[in-house]
Amino acid sequence: MKYKLRHQTLYTYVNSVHNYQSILCLQPRNSAKQICHNFKLEIEPKPAKIYSRTDYFGNIQHYFSLHESHKSLKVIVSSEVEVLNNAVQLFNTITCEEAREKFKTDIALKTEVLQYQLPSQYISWDEEIVAFAETCLLPNVSLFEAVWDLIKKIYTEFQFKSGATNVNTPLKTVLKERKGVCQDFSHLAIASLRSVGIPAKYVSGYIETLPPKGKIKLEGSDASHAWISVYIPEMGWCEFDPTNNMIPQQRHIVTAYGRDFADVSPMKGIIFSSGDHKVKVEVDVIPLI
Amino acid sequence: MIQDNSLGLLQTYKESINTYDEVLDQNGQVKPYWQGLFDTLEDIGIDELELRNQEIVKKLKENGVTYNVYGSNKESNRAWKLDPIPFLIHESEWKTIEEGLKQRARLLDLILKDLYGPQLLIKNAIIPAELVFDNSGFLLPCFDIRQKHDKQLLNYAVDLARGPDGKMWLLDNRTQAPSGAGYALENRIVMSKVIPELNKKTYRKRLSPYFSQLQQTVDSLGNNSNENPNVVFLTPGPGNETYFEHVYLSSYLGYTLVQGNDLLVRDGFVWLKSIDQLERVDVIIKRLDDEWCDPLELRRDSLLGIPGLLQVIRLGNVAVMNPPGTSVLENYGLMAFMQNACKFLLKEPLLMSSVATWWCGQAKELKFVLENLPKLIIKKTNRKQGFRSIYGRLLTIEKLAELKNLILESPKDYVAQEEVSLSTTPSFIDGVIEPRFAALRAFLIADGTDYKVMQGGLTRSSAVKGKFEISNQLGGISKDTWIISDTPTEYLEKPVERKNTNNQLNNSLTSRNAENLFWLGRLCERTMALRSFLKIILNRLNENVTKHGNKQPEFLVVLLKSLTHLTQTYPGFVGKEPKKGEEFDNEAIFEDPIAELLFLINDPTKPGSVVYNLQSLLNTINQVSEKWNHDTRRIINLVEDSLYALKNINTNNINYVNHGLDKLHIRLFSFYGNINETLPRDNGFYLLEAGKNVERILSLLSVFRSTLNFKKTEEEEALLMEAILENHHLLAQYRNIYKSHLSLKAVISMIFLEKNLPYTLSYLLDTLSYYLSKLPKTNDTHRLSIAEKSALEASTIVKLIDADNLILVDSETQFRFELDETLSKVFELICNVSNNLSSLYFNHSVMQHSVLDTIENNDSDEI
Repeated sequence: MKYKLRHQTLYTYVNSVHNYQSILCLQPRNSAKQICHNFKLEIEPKPAKIYSRTDYFGNIQHYFSLHESHKSLKVIVSSEVEVLNNAVQLFNTITCEEAREKFKTDIALKTEVLQYQLPSQYISWDEEIVAFAETCLLPNVSLFEAVWDLIKKIYTEFQFKSGATNVNTPLKTVLKERKGVCQDFSHLAIASLRSVGIPAKYVSGYIETLPPKGKIKLEGSDASHAWISVYIPEMGWCEFDPTNNMIPQQRHIVTAYGRDFADVSPMKGIIFSSGDHKVKVEVDVIPLI
Repeated sequence: MIQDNSLGLLQTYKESINTYDEVLDQNGQVKPYWQGLFDTLEDIGIDELELRNQEIVKKLKENGVTYNVYGSNKESNRAWKLDPIPFLIHESEWKTIEEGLKQRARLLDLILKDLYGPQLLIKNAIIPAELVFDNSGFLLPCFDIRQKHDKQLLNYAVDLARGPDGKMWLLDNRTQAPSGAGYALENRIVMSKVIPELNKKTYRKRLSPYFSQLQQTVDSLGNNSNENPNVVFLTPGPGNETYFEHVYLSSYLGYTLVQGNDLLVRDGFVWLKSIDQLERVDVIIKRLDDEWCDPLELRRDSLLGIPGLLQVIRLGNVAVMNPPGTSVLENYGLMAFMQNACKFLLKEPLLMSSVATWWCGQAKELKFVLENLPKLIIKKTNRKQGFRSIYGRLLTIEKLAELKNLILESPKDYVAQEEVSLSTTPSFIDGVIEPRFAALRAFLIADGTDYKVMQGGLTRSSAVKGKFEISNQLGGISKDTWIISDTPTEYLEKPVERKNTNNQLNNSLTSRNAENLFWLGRLCERTMALRSFLKIILNRLNENVTKHGNKQPEFLVVLLKSLTHLTQTYPGFVGKEPKKGEEFDNEAIFEDPIAELLFLINDPTKPGSVVYNLQSLLNTINQVSEKWNHDTRRIINLVEDSLYALKNINTNNINYVNHGLDKLHIRLFSFYGNINETLPRDNGFYLLEAGKNVERILSLLSVFRSTLNFKKTEEEEALLMEAILENHHLLAQYRNIYKSHLSLKAVISMIFLEKNLPYTLSYLLDTLSYYLSKLPKTNDTHRLSIAEKSALEASTIVKLIDADNLILVDSETQFRFELDETLSKVFELICNVSNNLSSLYFNHSVMQHSVLDTIENNDSDEI
């Protein structure tokens, strides 16, 4: 599948901003599963220079700063992304318990996965999360099946509700209220997995959406998306989408991997100003036939 | 405590030793250089030593040497403690120690580069992965930071103590912002001044080569194209525990002291914001912990850092000493793996032993630790403020069980260290020389190919007898540290010559300091003005106490109300607006005005009170403490004393209160005098003077206006005019000219127009205009700035007044409309001056974080 991707972010400020420092993490990754063509980054007002850098996780970041007084900032990234057919992964029946043991004893493996087993900025867990995780991730169940169960559980028991949470909503609340957005579901799945010793990453990217039946797709109606990746011995990193109860195939586009949202935040910045600001985001994921 | 000195100091000391001691060698013999020192101490005599000790305390206080203790308020800035007896090490032993230290520095540098690079140490199971990935000092955004010097670890400090085998052992590493070198230097300087005869019989090595090397290393870090790099010394600010050292070292080394918000990242470079330009910064000496230094990529909530800094470091456009990321090395857990890491990276055995350390993240080690808790010291792997080491030996059975559970909850978070017996060293405590445990902090600086070790260090001895509590936070006592040489010390090391340059970096005034100096002027004058007016009121109150009983005469009521206006401490004497239907009744407060007046003096929580202003003033003074010379320091200490004295004033005895206020006046006046005689005439000085004059004008106007705007009886009015003239320091002059007759017209003419008397409005406005004209302009230098225009307008209004017109009274309301209007207009214009300076020179924008907080989804049937 090939998609045309457009992601526009518009900040408007109540008071003028005269110094802005920012890091973007918006460029789709190149990998065995996808190729990003014609990546273009437009920023208004135009910064003197944009510096790109590959971060610790292999994601591409762009840094820029603005020093002329401005009251709005527009960032548009566009690209064409080709998502390739997934090679069929060999299914491994390793159980949760066996996998856990392997993560401890295999030094090379441990070095790779340890940082995805530890708590991170948005991921921490308590007994409730462990209890939630243990309903699916039983020691003698196949790890792959168990993760699927967890994903299904989140999909069926939680309500998707945009605006119900923000990034600082604790997982405890998400678990209690049983609602949230893809980010919360991904964080919850990651916390559950890590709470029982299974390494899990956060994946940020996009998904192609379909308009309601009989309607045409509106411009800017897509969204950035988040899902997870779990390490299953022999199979490697396997992606799961708890929000949609699916294994990402050709409709998911990967932008970045990290321990949680904090590592891959699409746009973070420091503003020197005295007032409030508003943000508007528009995303289009358009299939190219 | 009484010590029998008939045996001689050394003999007496020897008898008090109950573990192995620095003074004795392995065979129990007194080391010759300690013998020499004790001989000298004997010559000085124990009583004289006590006097010198007091002199040291005084000297350190004068020099402002403090060590701020976290968790305590400003006033308990702990004075630095310095023992008059130094710590001695012979150079023959020191050479061996140096080799061990240099090897350790080289090793840590290689570990640092490996952990942020190929991570071979982890891959080869030399260091457990947990100690890197689960180490709060391991900062992922720093993985691609590599400065141009081969050595990434440039500056290194290490704590040492003598172990049971008679050798120096390594206790702890300081890498991200090593502190203490400045204190070591100050200790040496104070000691040579107070007890110069102490090293009569010994040769000791000098400290200065270390600092010269530091300057050379810093210079070599600068940009190649710039022979004389711009270097700044980055401090977290006066709240930091070692702020004194930041001020001290930056001024000793000749670098500009800055806080994070003095710097700005732009166009891929770091810039210093001075009031008239941006200056490029080449090197930052960082005394800020790593995670705080860039809120864009590291700790988001840091207000101390410089957003964008990491990117500039990556570009190679600024060098930082030490670069962010070195915090990874401060993990206690790593100490357990040094021997193996050394063999792996340096292919040689570790020269200097460290205290045996077990990381509880390994099964075997955990078992050992749990079984041997009473012999061990337990620490958290990640160095955290607030976690005090736990000594197993001191715990009850119940507490040991608790500790066991604590460790078992998350073993990887704990390390255990063997509690070894360390050596004691002679310390002068309460007039007696007694043995105390001590540790030595040594300092290393990269010199291009290897490291150079300071020939000396900072020794700290335990605050408590029989315990090892050397940390300054716990009250440890510092010691000068001598490396003893058998031959006269090498030639006098020449300080680094900084090549001549046309940039004025060291004179550049940062926006932050500009603001501090302006406010310093304002706050000092605010306190002075309040003091003057308080005195006028107190004197009159005193005279009237007996005459009228509890009822205050009308003129005093006016003055008291005016005081509330001046200090903005409403309701105060002015009273609250009466609510509808209620009678306005404010009589009670006038029955005992002293109570309210005392609050206006001694209440530190009441904005506008004398002590409140004094506190703000002293804080501001501390913010720019690099400006003050020794004499000014001494005066500032006296002002501090006044603050404490006034806070504790609680008496109805007006004379006593007066006395305290007079003292304050003299001290602040000395402060004025001193800065006026010594400060260079630069932008900082002009701003200070501008602030002082702005405040003086505003204070005088406020009192004048609220006192004379309503006409009173002739008798009351005369008393009020007298008070006003006194407030303007014009009473004597007035009497000289007009004898005893007080006419409002004459008073107004004098206060407004007299050009040669320093407290008249004309004079003050001319002075203010002068200082404003000296300040840099952003655009055309031949035109007036906005502030200057306001001052000129105010000055013109004042000089063109028609006194006959100003004294007119509205017959119905008794209100002097013209006078009030004029004074209020001038007041407003001078406020404008202050605001204009503020928006022109000071930076008031707030740093905010913006992150796309949540992935908001639109309505769609799928996601």
